[in-house]
Formats: sequence, structure tokens, C-alpha cells
Amino acid sequence: MPGIIEMKNVCKSFGNKEVLHNINFSVDEGEVVVIIGPSGSGKSTLLRCINCLEMITMGELTVDSILIPAERGRIRQIRLEVGMVFQQFNLFPHMTALDNVVFGPRKARKMNKGKATDVARNLLGKVGLAEFENKLPQQLSGGQQQRVAIARALAVNPKIILFDEPTSALDPEMIGEVLDVMKSIAKDSGMTMVVVTHEMGFAAQVGSRLIFMDDGRIIEEGLPGEVMKNPQSERLKDFLGHVKHH
Amino acid sequence: MDFEFSVITGSLPALLAGAKLTWIITILGIIGGMVFGVLAGLGRIAGTQSLGEKPQGIFMPISVLVRYLSGFYVEVIRGTPIIVQAMFLYFAFPMLVRLVTDIERFRIEALTAAVITIVINAGAYIAEIVRGSVMSVNKGLLEAGMSLGISRFHLIVHVIGPIAFRRMIPPLGNQFIISLKDTSLFIVIGVGELTRQGQEIMASNFRALEIWLTVAVMYLMMTTVIAMTLRSLERKMKIF
Repeated sequence: MPGIIEMKNVCKSFGNKEVLHNINFSVDEGEVVVIIGPSGSGKSTLLRCINCLEMITMGELTVDSILIPAERGRIRQIRLEVGMVFQQFNLFPHMTALDNVVFGPRKARKMNKGKATDVARNLLGKVGLAEFENKLPQQLSGGQQQRVAIARALAVNPKIILFDEPTSALDPEMIGEVLDVMKSIAKDSGMTMVVVTHEMGFAAQVGSRLIFMDDGRIIEEGLPGEVMKNPQSERLKDFLGHVKHH
Repeated sequence: MDFEFSVITGSLPALLAGAKLTWIITILGIIGGMVFGVLAGLGRIAGTQSLGEKPQGIFMPISVLVRYLSGFYVEVIRGTPIIVQAMFLYFAFPMLVRLVTDIERFRIEALTAAVITIVINAGAYIAEIVRGSVMSVNKGLLEAGMSLGISRFHLIVHVIGPIAFRRMIPPLGNQFIISLKDTSLFIVIGVGELTRQGQEIMASNFRALEIWLTVAVMYLMMTTVIAMTLRSLERKMKIF
């Protein structure tokens, strides 16, 4: 059975600069795939190609059985099934926490207001922010904002969620609360997740697969524990050395 | 020669009539200017990342054309003096119409020409205000919205629009005040606005000090109303 995400010989260039070289990659439903690698290695670009924020230049990409490139209507359909959480949260600054979460189901799933509000309240409760529903993003801490952003992504009921360095912009004491929410999504809902992160602990605990990327290529891939314990390439050994020292 | 308050009170009715006309030209002008400005401002960034994604198929060449036409409008209007635009519209444009069509008696009312001049002129500057504000909205918000599967239309109306509008208020205040003061130039096409009224009274009684002082204070009062209205609008909107 083909995976919910399938990449075959995918290349992506910005102008003359090729940032993804011949990527072959597949994610099955319910998998939690963690992608690590030095900055500029193409991790974020790979993620952004999956929900068509970037268009692949060559190769074949299938998401939820829709072949990309596709026309605009189909791309919207893909995005409904592929949520995304960003490093910079990107909450709508003029909406309360509740309105941020309500907006997706209302406008993308055409849910009525009452039902969308129920969904949103329930999700804010799940990320531990029930009592913050009337706060604006600027009144929340970074960790709280990112939890609202996770609730917002879940609210349209996607099949896949992409996390693009979700804890990299957070103060150290707030990283734990966000990772805890992500862990509970992975364990409780069986959500398919692709996570770009530097949090090796998270990768080891909930990752079903670890991918190491460098220079636009997938260098190593395997069970998180094994990949971390027995790195094959010099580049991964070097990278793990750097991560552990911080 | 003494400062005579009676000169001021005596000329007030005529000056107030002029001020009323100034208001009418300004209000109609900035309403129309907002319409032109929003259309041309969005037109200048049509099909760019600031409004979502690159257009597909036939929309690609259309967006290029729209960008080009909007840019042409802004550059032509910004690049010529408003007084030349007013005179062109009032004196030259009817001649042009008579030259190329067989409408023999075509002419434009001075007041109509004044309003149209403000609409077109303010529109060009407001277009740049709109473009700048929209471009200043964090692209991550668009990406977040798009990744939820929300349409570009909803994102422009509910996300980019409100955030950009809040940022437009200070420069719009500038432009509204400039447009109000620009109406004084319509003295050259014979519109009886405030400056023209002052000029006419002054020509008959030579009381320059009293008249121009009164005219200046009346302009200041009108611009203050605009400034305070926009300030209160700014305060009413959430800060972000």
C-alpha cells in the first residue's frame, strides 16, 4: 500500500540553486517521522513542499492520493488534510485565541459558528488553554501561542500535521509544554506527523522513524534509537556531537 | 490701519459657504480616492506573493497587465502637478473630446472637475499607501491561513485586510489632509471654495490680514477634524 505521503525523485530549486536533490521518501498513515539536520539542509523546504507552500521543481509527489503539481482547487483539498505548525507561530494577531482556532473550521470546512466554537473550545482545553480563549496572541507567552497554533492546525481535522521547528523560537522553559502537547497528539490520536526539530529526546520517545538530511539529501534513515546510537556517516556523527553539546 | 473684527464677522457668511464647498469636494474626493486607491494599490501587487500565490494559467498574463496599468496610473498622476491635472481636466479635456468626437458642446462643470481631480490624484497616493501596508503584513500569516485550506479571498478579507487597514490609518490621515488643502488650488478653475471666497473678499476690501488669518484658521479647524477623527478610529481598533 502506498504511503499517505510519497516523494519520488523530488528536486526543488530556487532560481539556479537546487535545495532538494532527488529525494525519495514515504510516510505511512500514523507514522511520526522526525527530520533532523543542520540549517540550510533543506528540511523546511521538504516540509513546505508537502502542503504546496513550495512547488516541487521535478519528480513526483503524492499526498493523500493527490498527485502534485495539481490545479488550485486540488491544492486547497490537500491543505485541508495537511495542517502545519510554524516556528514563528503565525497566529492571526487581531483575533483572540478562540477566534484563531474557530477561523479554520468556519472558512475552510464551512462549519456553522456554534459547532466550530465547540470544536475550538474542546481543542483549547486539550492543549491546556481553556481559560485563555479570550486573550490576544500578544497577551500569551511563546509556549502558549504555539499551543494555540497546534489547536488551530488540529481544528480543521487534518490527516497529517507538519511541524516546522515548533520549539526553536521558544525560551527553554517553554519547550517542554509544547513537546508534551505534541507527544499526546502522537500517542492519543494516531495522527500522521512529520516533525522538523532539534529535540533529540522527542525524536527518541515518539518518533517512529528518524531522517537525517544534509545538503538537500537524505543521508540516513531508520529507527530513532538506532540511528542515534549507530550513526553510519561522518556527517551525522559530527551533527549529533554538536546537538549533544548544547 | 487697525485690525477690524467687523471685517471678519462681515465676511463670515461668504467664507463659510466657501468652507462648505471645500468640505464637499474633499469628502467626495477622498471617498472616490479610496476606491481608486484600493483598486490600484491591490492592482500593483496582483498575482504576487503579497496576496497569496502566483496565479495559474490565464490569470498569469492578466495579473501582469493589471500590475502594469495600475503602475502607469500611479506614476503619471504622481509625476504631474495637481494644478496641471485640474487645468487639463477643466480646459484641455473638453477640447480633446470635441476634437475626437462630434459632441460639440462638451464641457465639464468646474465643481465636477474639482472632485474628479481629487479622486484621481488622491487615488494614486492612496494606492501606494495600500500597497505598502499590504506588503508589510507578515507573509507567515498568509501561509498559516493557506495551510488551513482557507481561500485567498477569505484571507484577504479577514486577515490581510484588517491588519493592513490599521497600518494605513496614519498615512491616510496625511493624504486626507493634503487633499483638503489641495482643494485651494481649484481657485484657478473658478470653484468658489474657501480660498477663492477669501480672494474675492480681499479684492474688494483689501483687508488681507483679517481675511487670510480667518481663512487659515478655518483650514486649520477642518484639518483638525480630519486628524482627530482618524486618531479616534486608530484608538478604537485593536493594537497589533
